[in-house]
Formats: sequence, structure tokens, C-alpha cells
Amino acid sequence: MTDQTTPEIELSEAQASEFWTGKRKQRFWRSIQAILIVLAAFVMLVPIIWIFLASFKSHVEVYQLRLFFTPTLENYGTVFEEPYNLGAKLYNSTIVAFVTVAFAIPIATMAAYSFSRFRLKFETTILVVILATQFVPAVVIILPFFIMFRDLGLLDTRIGLIMVNLAIVMPFAIWMIKGFIDGIPMDTEEAAMVDGSSRLQVIKNIVLPMAAPGLVTASIFCFILAWNEFLFALFLTNRDAVTLPIGLALFRGEEGDLWNLLSAAGIIIMAPMFVLALAIRKYFVQGMTMGAVR
Amino acid sequence: MAEIRLKNLTKRWGDFIGVDDQSLDIHDEEFLVLLGPSGCGKTTTMRMIAGLEDPTAGEIWIGDRMVNDDLPKDRDVAMVFQNYGLYPHMTIYDNIAYPLKVRGTPKADIKPRVERAAEQVELTEFLHRKPKALSGGQRQRVALARAIVRTPKVFLMDEPLSNLDAKLRVTMRAELKHLSRALQITTVYVTHDQIEAMTLADRVAVMRHGIIQQLGTPDDIYNDPANMFVAGFIGSPAMNLINGSVQSGMFITTGGTKLVGIGGPDRESAILGVRADDMSVHDAGEGDIDVTIYAFENTGESTLLTVQWGKQRVIARGDRHLRKEQDDVVGIKLNPDHLYLFDPESGDRIRMGGA
Amino acid sequence: MSHIPPMPTMRDRTLKYLLVLPAVLVVFATAVWPLIESLRFSFYQGRTDRGDFPQNWLGFENYTWAFLYEPPFWNSVYVTGLYTVVTVVLTTAFALGLAMLLAPGGKLRSGVQTLLILPFAMSPALIGVSFRFMFNPEFGLFDAFFGVVFPPLADVSWLANPDLAFAVIVMADVWGWIPFLTLVLIGGLASVPQDTIEAAQVDGASGWRVFKDVTLPQLLPVLAVVIILKAIFSLKTFDQVFMLTNGGPGTATQTLSHYIYITSTRYGQVGYAASVAWLMVIPMMVLTYFYAKFVFKKDDGA
Repeated sequence: MTDQTTPEIELSEAQASEFWTGKRKQRFWRSIQAILIVLAAFVMLVPIIWIFLASFKSHVEVYQLRLFFTPTLENYGTVFEEPYNLGAKLYNSTIVAFVTVAFAIPIATMAAYSFSRFRLKFETTILVVILATQFVPAVVIILPFFIMFRDLGLLDTRIGLIMVNLAIVMPFAIWMIKGFIDGIPMDTEEAAMVDGSSRLQVIKNIVLPMAAPGLVTASIFCFILAWNEFLFALFLTNRDAVTLPIGLALFRGEEGDLWNLLSAAGIIIMAPMFVLALAIRKYFVQGMTMGAVR
Repeated sequence: MAEIRLKNLTKRWGDFIGVDDQSLDIHDEEFLVLLGPSGCGKTTTMRMIAGLEDPTAGEIWIGDRMVNDDLPKDRDVAMVFQNYGLYPHMTIYDNIAYPLKVRGTPKADIKPRVERAAEQVELTEFLHRKPKALSGGQRQRVALARAIVRTPKVFLMDEPLSNLDAKLRVTMRAELKHLSRALQITTVYVTHDQIEAMTLADRVAVMRHGIIQQLGTPDDIYNDPANMFVAGFIGSPAMNLINGSVQSGMFITTGGTKLVGIGGPDRESAILGVRADDMSVHDAGEGDIDVTIYAFENTGESTLLTVQWGKQRVIARGDRHLRKEQDDVVGIKLNPDHLYLFDPESGDRIRMGGA
Repeated sequence: MSHIPPMPTMRDRTLKYLLVLPAVLVVFATAVWPLIESLRFSFYQGRTDRGDFPQNWLGFENYTWAFLYEPPFWNSVYVTGLYTVVTVVLTTAFALGLAMLLAPGGKLRSGVQTLLILPFAMSPALIGVSFRFMFNPEFGLFDAFFGVVFPPLADVSWLANPDLAFAVIVMADVWGWIPFLTLVLIGGLASVPQDTIEAAQVDGASGWRVFKDVTLPQLLPVLAVVIILKAIFSLKTFDQVFMLTNGGPGTATQTLSHYIYITSTRYGQVGYAASVAWLMVIPMMVLTYFYAKFVFKKDDGA
């Protein structure tokens, strides 16, 4: 009777390979891909989530590798108190980033319009120089500023910081806005000129309204750059004009890093940038590559 | 109302010549079409009239004023752009009103004029919308309304129908013609579409390589082309151009076939031009020449026969009821009144019968 | 009319220069001037602990000093070079893989694409801090994770070991840059015409062949841009290093930027620091040259 057991299903080699072709194989790869994607997303987010969680942990729990804890808002209060006084840094960062953008965007817009619409002598040279300044290491630029500010008494002032931040922001702003203006059809402007507008009327009535979304995007992008700027602030500030990223160093106490406070400060620095970055996410790549990739 | 005079107008970019020393008088209230393939200088000519491009040399006169140094806004022209150039952030009403507003027209005047212009192009119900919400044909009308809302000295139209689909283009063409007859304003119209040129123009200027090849009425251009380029550019299907020679008053094809008597002195090489419509299709042996059908096409309103003619292929138009098969042999007869002879070197027309 | 220049010549001869002037002045004052001034400093003895600045003209002495008598300089050149190569290769490879995974679109994929913006909006300094946190030997999450998958690493103190500290700054950098490169490459993949890929599939090419023969060659320009850009930013790296290891242990993770920072601030040798800074500018200029070529080729091709 033993030979009446269910016949073994033997797959020939051809059948076996058949098994792995077509839809079945496709479905298999699809699940592998989905798993990889989720894994990648997880790796990308884990440090952020971990910091987020740590910012709600007490100073005891933060020193333990635990997922479950009693959340507390205490850290978010402590960082604003003496001796950390994060509020002052928040104020500095906000002022510096705002004023930098307020100067950079109008100036960049004027230049971007001209680069986009006219032929200038040395146009390519000027554009390449502007592009190149963005790649110059900050440590090179900072040395003369450090000496000059020392002599002029501008060290540890917001004004000084705003001046050097313009160096970082301007090339991005010019290239980014130029990209947006390049995208406005010439037809529209020419129609306005034939319709009776002067050049300045064209800019005011046609170009600025049409470029407005682009200008907002560029402003946000530059705001993020200025907000996250680290090296200039490290060189040029020590007490009064310290910005948020430099402020992180405050939480390195004698007893080691105060991770719960550091995390809370980190969240305060990144949360607004996350919101801004998500708002302009479509243009982030374009801005960062300065027109090399569209 | 004004005439336009171009005197020895030239536009150069470095080595590239856009328009080469051209003069052209456009009459008051005339509808003039600049026709030519892309890159022939027609758009450049128009942009120079508008003031969007500075001429390298020469003069542009609108009415009795030399406008070379006037900004576009001071030339009193209206222009319709290929891509319409609508202001996307303004409503249709504001788009049409813009030329009036920017010129300081009193507010009370603007409204009735915008509404009248909108009415003329049947846009009244869309005035509160933005351009984005309109179809291609409707956008085209907005551009038109924006041009006619004032009474400019000159209308300039840069391929205004080229972005519309084929069916809409025919409708808009008729509307444009109707409107231009009603408005009676000097109009310069740029196109590469010979049918638009033929149907709309009082006169057509055919351009190539920055030079006007021929200036004349649509009839002139079609029936009496000045050279091989004009002959080949106008007409659909394009005029057949047959290589050969003239011996004792007969045109002999390169293959050695005696084709047709055309008179005139002997020539070692010449090109015979004949339109598809000027060839009639007969049974084999009954035409000037017997040929084999390479392809037979029925377009509905007529039939097109591409026939093998020695080494060349020639297109003849047949009756709509004609039915033939590939490789059939037919006789072709040429209409002796509508044959054109060209010099193969220069492309110039050789006038027949003169000798 | 492709051969006619796209921009019309308009008669705003003065205006067009007036519009550019403020921007040119700002860029000159904030970037070009300091660059030249740095070059000038590099030929002087420039100590900040003295009142006058700069002091004696030294000619090329600062440069020869760096080359001949400063092992820390060579160390930072080595660290920066290795760091640049490793981070460029790893970031590009991971980003390309992730871009291929995410490019097809759909709910899950576009959701993940959106999340990718987040690490990129993080300040590099903050990335440094968070990785120091994650690799803390007692309660760091990554530290614990690596201890589990690879037990020999269970009890090491990452940031105290020269090689592992280097590995950590590399990981932090790669983590921080993958999202951006991925997003750029997704854009690049999207611009590869779908019909060329479909043509290859119909022609009978397997998935891998389609990628190798059709997709990759068309992606090369974008890939080149990405690699140049990443190389430039890798060469400049400072923020994460400062926050994560501060160059240590010893000088095991001291990049050129960090070396310049230390010599100019801690030791007040601004003249010498400027000469090292200028040695850094040179490779940067080469990379910028190639980058600019891509930017302007793109403009002409349109």
C-alpha cells in the first residue's frame, strides 16, 4: 500500500525554471523591492525619530537604550532657561536668516532677470564666477572676514553674520530665480511691450506676478541655508550673536553630553526647516544643483 | 491706418544673416503675408517692425514716421504671438484690457471697449476666467481680442494659427479673414502654411534665406512663380520638377523620352515644372507618355497617382472616381498652358514662348 | 528657428547692467574679495595674537612649510582624500540603487520620496550630533545594532577608535547625502525617454541589459553632475566632523577644513591657514570648471 501514497510532484528542470518566469517572478521581485524601500525609509528616518523620542525622555531615561518611557515636555522648557537660554539663539537665527533673505532675494531677482533676458558683456564669465563662489570652501572666505570684523568690532554681531551669509545665499538665489524667469515665456513679455508697457512696467506687471511662486521658493530655500549655516557662525560668534546650530555646543557639559536637552534643541532647529522643506520639495533639487539638473 | 515701408532692411547675428538688405512697401489697409520655411527671416522681419528686434541696417517706416528708434510701446502696433503671450495671472478681461490700461485709457472707456472686443471674438462669457481655463482656440481669440481692443496703426500676427489643430485652424482662418476685412487695418501676417497665405493675403511675400523671392497676389504666386523655390513651395502636392533638356522645341527627359513641345531655344539642361492638377490621366497610349503606377492613393475628393517616370517619380491628380492598381500602366497628358521651365543652376524661371 | 539666438536684443543697454550691478557687488564683496584677500594672507606671516595684521612678507614659505614640515597637513590631506573618495562612491552607489527602486512612482514610493527631503533639510551640524548620539557606546541605537549583527563590535567605543571614528563620519555623511542624490537621480531617470526603454524591452533585452545598455548611458550626464557636486561638498566637509569627532581621536578624522579651522583659531596662524585654504581652492576650481561645463551645455542644448 505504500506505493499508493500521494505521488511526489517532481518538477523537471524546464518546469522549475518556468516556475520562476512570468508573473510569479515579477511578483516576487515586487515584494523584494517593497521590503527594500521600507528598509531604506526606516534607515533614513531612524536617527530623526530617535532624537524626537529622546527629546521627550527624562535625563535618566535618555541614558538607557529603551523604546518605552514616560514622555515629558520638561526638556523643551529647560533649554529656554539659564544657562542654555536657547531663546536668544532662536532669535539670532531667525533675524539673521530673515534679513539675509530680505537682502538677497530682491538683489538676486534683479540680476536674474537681466541674466535671463539680456545678453551682457562677460555674461558667461560672471555667471561662472557666481556659480564658483558657491563652491569655495567657507574656511577660505572666513579668514579675511574674521580679521576685518575683528578690526571693525563686528565680531559676534548679527550684522557681521548677515554679511557673510549673503556669500552663501546669493549664488543659489541668483541661479534659482534665473531658472524660474527662464521658464516665463518671452512671448508674454513681448506682448506686454507691444501692448504699450515700458520695460519697468513689464517687470512690475508681468514678470514679478508670474515669478512670485518662484521667488517664494527661492526665499524659503535660502532661509534654510542661512538657518543651517554653521562654520561662519562658529568663527564669528561667541556669546551675543550665537545661532542655533552653534548653540548645540552648549549642551556638552562637564559631565558629558546632555542628550535629552540636545535632542530637544535639535528638534527645535529641524522642525521648522522640515515644514519649509516639505513646502518647496519639488524645487529643492533644482535649487541645489543650480540648473545643472532640471 | 498706415502704410509700412522697409528700406534696405538687414538683420545679422555675427555671421548669420537673418534678413538680407530687403525693401518692401506694404500698402495702407493691406493684408500682407510673409511666407517661407522656418529660418527664412519672415519672423525676424516682423519682429523688427514690432520693435522687438533691432535692425542691423536699414529703415522701418510706419506711416510717415521712421520708427527705428522707437520702443515697441511707442510704435502703435498690436501683435498676436504664436504662443499667444497671454498673461496667465490675469483674467481674460484684464488681459484684453491691459493695452488700454497701460496706455492710461480712462476707466469708463475701458469696459465697453473690452466688452465689444470680446463680443467680436465671441468670448463674452469667459471674461472672468483665467487663460489656463480656456481651450487653445479660445486662447487664440483672447490674443486676437487684445489686439483689436485698440485701433492700432498696424496688426502683426506671428503664425497665430500654428498651435491649433487642423480643424480649428480652418475655422479660425475664416474668422480671421472676416475680421480683417471688417477692421480694415494694415496687417502683416507671418506663416509657413501656404494655404493660410493663399486664402488670407492681399499680397504674399515669399521669403527664403533672408531674401524676398517673390512679391505678388496669391494668383501671381501660384500661376506665375518667379523661380523654382516659389514654384515648389506653393501648391499641394508640390509642383513636379522634371530634369531634362530642350531640343528643337521639345522637352526631353533625362531618360531620353520626348515629352512635350514647349518651343524656345535648345538647352542642355532644364527643369520642367508641372503641377499635379495640370496633368490628366488617360488609358495607356492615349497620353503624352506611358508610365507605370508606383502608388495609387484615394483622398476622397480626388485621387493621387505617383508614377515612375524613368528614374523620377511624379505625382498626378486623377478624377475622384478613377480606380487603378499599383503597377498598372497609364497615359499622362500635360496641359501645355501651365508648364514652367527653370534653369537648374540658378533656379530662375525661363520664360517660354518668348523666342 | 533653432539657429537664431533665443534672446532678442532689446534696447535697455543701461538698465541691463544696472540690474546686475548690486548682485555683482555683493558677490564680489562677500566671495571674490575674501578669496583674493586670503591669497594675499597666504604669503604673509599672519598671527592673530599680535596687534598688526598681517606681519612679515614670507613669499611661499607658508606653502613650503605645509609641504615639508607639517605632518598634520599631510594627514588632513590623506583624511580628506580618502573621505572624499569613499563618500562619493558609497553615496552615489546607494543613491542610484534607491533611485532605481523609487523611480517607478506609486503611493509607497512617492511617499518615501517625500520623506527623503527631511534628512536633507537637517543642518549638517545636527547630523553630526545625532550620529554621536546614535554611536554612543552605552545607549547608542546604531552602536547596539552593530553589536547585535556583528558581535566583535559589541563592546567597542566607536569614536575612540581611529578607524571606526572615520567609519562613523563617513556613515553620517552618506546618510545625510543619500536623499539629495537620490532625488536628483530620480529626476534623471524620469528624463530618460520611456520609449527607449520600452523599445529595448520589445527588442528582447532583460531588465539588467535594459539598465546597462539604455538607461545608464542616458543617465551619465546627471550622474556626472551628481558625482562632481558630491565631491565638492565632500572636500569641504567641516560641520559634521566638528560636531561628531572634532577631528579625533587624535587627528584621525581631521579634514582639511577642520585643520584650517584649528590652525587659525586655536593657534592663531591665519597666514599659514590661508595658504592651506588656497591649496584646497585649487582642486575645487578644477571640479567647478567641469560642473560649469555641464550647466552651460544644458543651456545651449535647450
